[in-house]
Parts: sequence; structure tokens; C-alpha cells
Amino acid sequence: MTTDLRTTRILLVDDEKGIRKVLGIALADRGYRVSAADCGETALAVVTQAPPAIAIVDIKMPGMDGITLLKEIKRLSPDTEVIMITGHGDMDLAIESLKHEAIDFITKPINEDILEVALKRAAERISLRRQLRRYTHHLEELVAVKSRQLIEAERLAAIGQTVAGLSHSIKNIAGGLTGGAYVVEKGIEQDNPRYLHQGWRMVKGNVDKIARLSLDLLNYAKTARLRLQLCHPNQPAGEVVELMAARAEEEGITLDIRLDDRLEPFYFDPEGIHRVLLNLVANALDACGAATAPNGARTVSLHTFQPADGVVAYRVKDNGGGMDQATQDRLFQTFFTTKGSHGTGIGLMMSKSIIDKHKGRIDVTSRHGRGTDFVVRLPMRREPPLERSNHHQGEP
Amino acid sequence: MTHSAPKTVLVVEDALDMRIFIKTLLETNGYRPLVAKDGRHGMVLARQHRPDLILLDVMMPEEGGANMYRRLKADPKLNAVPVVMLSAVAPQTFNHYLRMLNTRTKDPVAEPDAYIEKPPDPAHLLRVLKRLA
Repeated sequence: MTTDLRTTRILLVDDEKGIRKVLGIALADRGYRVSAADCGETALAVVTQAPPAIAIVDIKMPGMDGITLLKEIKRLSPDTEVIMITGHGDMDLAIESLKHEAIDFITKPINEDILEVALKRAAERISLRRQLRRYTHHLEELVAVKSRQLIEAERLAAIGQTVAGLSHSIKNIAGGLTGGAYVVEKGIEQDNPRYLHQGWRMVKGNVDKIARLSLDLLNYAKTARLRLQLCHPNQPAGEVVELMAARAEEEGITLDIRLDDRLEPFYFDPEGIHRVLLNLVANALDACGAATAPNGARTVSLHTFQPADGVVAYRVKDNGGGMDQATQDRLFQTFFTTKGSHGTGIGLMMSKSIIDKHKGRIDVTSRHGRGTDFVVRLPMRREPPLERSNHHQGEP
Repeated sequence: MTHSAPKTVLVVEDALDMRIFIKTLLETNGYRPLVAKDGRHGMVLARQHRPDLILLDVMMPEEGGANMYRRLKADPKLNAVPVVMLSAVAPQTFNHYLRMLNTRTKDPVAEPDAYIEKPPDPAHLLRVLKRLA
């Protein structure tokens, strides 16, 4: 099955005008509808407005680089097939791009035959997907009841993704443990204290990692369902301050707490919000701890306030190291961490999930070297949750 | 294994844990390990010592293993040294990269002698080493 070229739109992203022009002509010659962008930001605007079937993206560009753009395109429009243009020495980047679902890559200078092969691959994938979609659509029309199962399948796919990420983390830890155990074993066999010492350190490091991972997962599992209760919004904030005050003092970081006592109780999950705030404050302390304070005072502040009618907000702010844009963009993704082996990449994703379930929002502004400012906004729910006939809930 | 001089194995790997593990594995099984943290340093050691075998990680900061592999295969003094890729990247991904590379060069780059996915099983790794060096 072929894809009708006249309707196939290609977005061409390259900072070099010459390549845009030459490639644009070559593609138009083949009957594609071509639009071009000279940088990632412009390309994303095009993708947002009208997602193209195929995007051809230069891997190295000033500003947003090709890999970042690839990920963004895939996030905004998973069906768009992305072909990367790579330089001669960019092999690692090219492999990286395949890992992020680029369909293919072509190397500069661009050989037209190879371009043809890559385009064909993309076209095949697209028509296959269309076929699949038609089929699915047909099914849905025929059997309305089945749609519930499809939703379930989607949920399973999401779980599958999480499990895949998780299995990667666990595989790494298992590898570290196997390696550590082997080195320790040799230390015992050969009575070699250096092996013993090195191997033991590997084992301990990886045991710590798995302990952190399991704790985070346990917390994540707890966020599966909200337990709405009528509660004062300052309560979880106060608890978190109590928990963190000792650590802050120990590390010489000032905790600036301002809880607005004019706020009123509403229905939310105090334990969930407690976890969100604990996570944000702990991150803020980490950020301050890691930064070398430029002019003395390192401060983490936690405020509660009412930004608008029917909304309660928590603000967690620090004057630590801050984050660059790339880090901010990936902040809420599963298993993304800036803390190396120290972090598990679950905390913020979990926080966002709790806030989403409250139909609230979390916003971040951050400047590299200046600090980070998180604001969590929750709508004030006035009615109690509907009584559900669910005997698993185990009400007290 | 013969009782002649120990075989030299160059390990190019950025992760400290993995380096310690493989170095110990080699030392305790009669090999002479050389270690490098990235492809650039790896190439220097390879040229200096002409190892009997090279264990190469694919994804590394600075110069990665894919690039170093290509440079090894292009070097007439080193292209006969067996290379074992050791990586968390699936072998299909790496081989796709090689195929892409080969479509546009006159001298196609051969696939590595062996490909081991991380984390490596010590016994399996030793079997592969014994077979190749």
C-alpha cells in the first residue's frame, strides 16, 4: 500500500539555508508538500498548528538541538515520522535518535538514494498505521462495548511503559550487584583487601539505590487513588515543616514559612499533598545544599496563599542552583533525574500525578544559578466525595 | 589457556562500577586489563599497547564507543584486534547504525566479533573472551 504523496506533508528543519533550499527542491520534485523551519522553536510552532506526516530534522542546530526537537515532536505528534540528518562524526547522536523513535537517519552530504530509502520507510510506517487505525475505528463502531476494553488496553500500555523504564533501572542495579558480588567473592577467595573493599562499596551503593527505588515506588502506588477529606490546607504544610526543620538547621539553610491563616478548609487528599510538599521541600533543600551560596544566606521558603477565589496555592522557593530549560522540560517525566545515582526520577512525576488528580496544576520557574520557584494550585472542592460502594476502601 | 604471557584486554567503559567489575574479572582470570574511560583515551591505549582484545561500551560521554569502533576498523594496525561490544543499547540498534554507515562507504565496516548486553554475566563474558583471545 502506498501513501498518496500529494497529501504527504514534510517539515524540513535545518539551520543551514542551503540545505533547506536544495533538499526542499528535491522533496518538492518528488511530489511532497514541503514546509521549512530554520530552528527548533519555529518547527514546534508548525507541528503544533498542523502536524506533518514526516519531519526531517538536522541533529545539530544552535538553540534547541535535534534530539530535543525529535522528542518534542514525538510528544506533540506521536504519528509524525522523524528522519534525522546527521554529520559524519555524530554516530552516537544518531543512535541516540533511534532510541527516541526516529525512523531513520541520513548522513551529510545527503545522498538522494539514501534519502529515498528513508522516505520509503517512513511512508510504509505511516500507511501501516493508517490501516491499523481504520481497523480499530471499525471495531469501535461495531462493538461499542469493546471501547471499555480498549481504554483498559491503553492503561495497560501506560503501565507497560512505566514497567519498561522501571525494568531498566532495576537491570542497572542488578548489574551493579552482580558485579559487586563478583568482586567481593574474588576478594574472599584471594584474600585481597582491595577487591573486598571495592566490591563491598559497589554492593552497598546498589543496595542503597534499590532501597530508594522501592520506597519511591511504594509512595507512587499510594497515589493511585485520592482520599479526599475536609482538611485545612495549612495542615500538610505544617507537617512538612516540622519534618524538615531539623535537616534545614543542620545544613545551615533558613526555612522561611508563611502560612496564611485566612485560608479555609476544603476537600483534598492531605496525605497526597503532604507527599507533594515533602518532595518539593526536600528537592529545594537538595538544590541549596548542592549550590555554593554566592552571597551567604541560603533560603527555602514555603508559603500558602489564595491566588484567586476558590483556589489555594502552595509556593516552594529556593535560592539554590536552579535549572536550565532542558532540565525544566523533562522535569515531570518518569525516571528523569538530575541527581545521578542519588535520585530515582519518580518524585516529581508522582507529585504531578497527585496534583492532576486534584484537577490542580503545578508550575515551575527557574533560572540557572538563581534558584527555583514551584507553585502548586488546587481548586477548593466544597462537596464531599460521592459515597462509593467499594468495600476495598476500608473506611474507618 | 596457554601458559605464555597473559593476554592484554583493553576495557573502554565510563561507568566506574562496571570498570571495577570487569577489571577484577580479567585480573582474576589470567588476563592483563587496561582501562579507559572514553573512546579518545581508549584509542591512545589501543595504539600504545596493541591489545589482544577490546571490550567496548557503546554509549559514553565525550567520544563514544560507536565512533571508536569505526576508528579501530579504519586503522590497519588495529583492525584485526577482536572487538566485543558491551552495552545497554540493543544489538539491533547498533547493527542498524553499521548498516546505515555501510550504505555510503566503499569499505564496509564489519559487525563486531561479539555483542554482549549489559549487565554481563561473568561466565558468559569469560567464554566469549576465551573464544576470541
